[in-house]
Amino acid sequence: MSDRTFTSADLIDLFQSWKQLFAEQREFLIALDGQVGDSDLGITMSKAFAAAADALATEGEAAGIAKLLRTAGTTMARAAPSTMGTLTATGFLRASKAIDGKDRLETADMAAFWRAFRDGVAERGKAKVGDKTLLDVLDPIATTLEASGSATLPDALKAAADAARDALEQTKSMVAQHGKAAAFQQKTLGLQDAGATVGYLVIRRMADFVLGRL
Amino acid sequence: MKKFLNDPANFVDEMLEGIYLAHPAVTYVGDDKRCLVTAKVKPGKVGIATGGGSGHLPLFLGYVGDGMLDGAAVGGVFQSPSAEQIYQVTKHIDQGAGVLYIYGNYSGDIINFEMAGELAAFDDIAVKHVVGNDDVASSIVGEEHKRRGVAGIFFIYKSAGAAAAEGLSLDEVTRIADKARSRTRTMGVALSSCVVPEIGHATFSIGEDEMEIGMGIHGEPGISRKKLAPADAVIDELMERIFAEQDYKKHDEVAVLVNGLGGTPMEELYILFRRVSQLLQRRNVTVKYVWIGEFATSMEMAGASISILHLDNELDRLVAAPARTPFFQHVAG
Repeated sequence: MSDRTFTSADLIDLFQSWKQLFAEQREFLIALDGQVGDSDLGITMSKAFAAAADALATEGEAAGIAKLLRTAGTTMARAAPSTMGTLTATGFLRASKAIDGKDRLETADMAAFWRAFRDGVAERGKAKVGDKTLLDVLDPIATTLEASGSATLPDALKAAADAARDALEQTKSMVAQHGKAAAFQQKTLGLQDAGATVGYLVIRRMADFVLGRL
Repeated sequence: MKKFLNDPANFVDEMLEGIYLAHPAVTYVGDDKRCLVTAKVKPGKVGIATGGGSGHLPLFLGYVGDGMLDGAAVGGVFQSPSAEQIYQVTKHIDQGAGVLYIYGNYSGDIINFEMAGELAAFDDIAVKHVVGNDDVASSIVGEEHKRRGVAGIFFIYKSAGAAAAEGLSLDEVTRIADKARSRTRTMGVALSSCVVPEIGHATFSIGEDEMEIGMGIHGEPGISRKKLAPADAVIDELMERIFAEQDYKKHDEVAVLVNGLGGTPMEELYILFRRVSQLLQRRNVTVKYVWIGEFATSMEMAGASISILHLDNELDRLVAAPARTPFFQHVAG
């Protein structure tokens, strides 16, 4: 990674890394989601990231970051048409629009990426912050990156991942208001939200990946 | 469970194979039987797509045809179709004038239709959404946005379909669809449960002598469960709630849809309509159009719903227009 920025080649490799991550976390997510959902989260996410990673590798870095993110979104929507698959797909499609025209992403671009991702998920999922969903982790990711100012990309992403970790911990004290888990209400107290867990895994791996490339 | 099945897992796809064999006016795209479209897309016309779970025939695919819809994405039983399927339908039926999505107010359908619209936007296809929410029983006045879409979506299809056939723009077709939506109200009552083939037993239990007012078409809880009353008393209760919603004046005109949920004989639907007609007459409201039969079912559920469209001149003209689809024919005049 040259100049501490993020290129389309990096994005392709990051998706390979996400693919591996969700293959490893598949059973963990199935068990987590099974407590108050329908257990399909681990399957959905491993399928979604595997399909997207393969599609990006095929398309190649010449396509550019925006086009690759669009491919990631459309591929996920096709491969994993569940709520979480669709929300994640929406996030990447919105991120694609937000960074359109950029050859490489700096800290401010990454903030725009995650702001658009967060807003897309909020709009599509119609959840609010505090409803114990993926949004509870995406929101601090976006705001932390936006507050990063002149920080390097690795530092900014590490701060965002740390904020996401704390936010995930806080979902344990929330009661689910949205999705299938909402039917369980009080039973969700004490459990970390499965969707928010996915959000944390995604940003943590992105931060580690960018740090490792320096 | 007593059903005509081969493998329950093939319920939807074998149903679709039958549909395509019986009705050459519809076909499919994207190499996916669940992406149903009209066999003759009309150049320059605004496209109208719908979709939703299976188990409701003639909804949703049954209204693809002349003067109605251009495509329908077909989901599993009571499950939304995928965004990709809706997008495939959209791409095929767009003729440069844009596409209107008309579907019911269910979270799975909303998320997938919105996603499909986003995919279509990357192809520069203009997409608008009108979300049916005619079921009075599913939420109070003031919270209509939470109401489910049920049989009344038929009136949205009919009005918007005729408007698109007249060559109106996407904005105009959308305005008309939204007007039909806002002027349609439905109340339903269920007498027995449905059975989802892959589940194999009744979705809910209800006593031999009981009815549930306001039950949804997937077995969602209604307003009240009580002893089955005489037909006239049932209609009195349903219509009272519909009348409370819309300001009907003397000489106003309406279209009435008496819909069987799948397990109720036509005879009983006519007994129900008899009372609907009497109540409208008492208010000096004119029944200009009547349709009685199965329009939006819930597998073998016994029960019925009454949908009323409060007409104005524009909707009158559009409802009257001819239409021809595999499950619905209307001759003008």
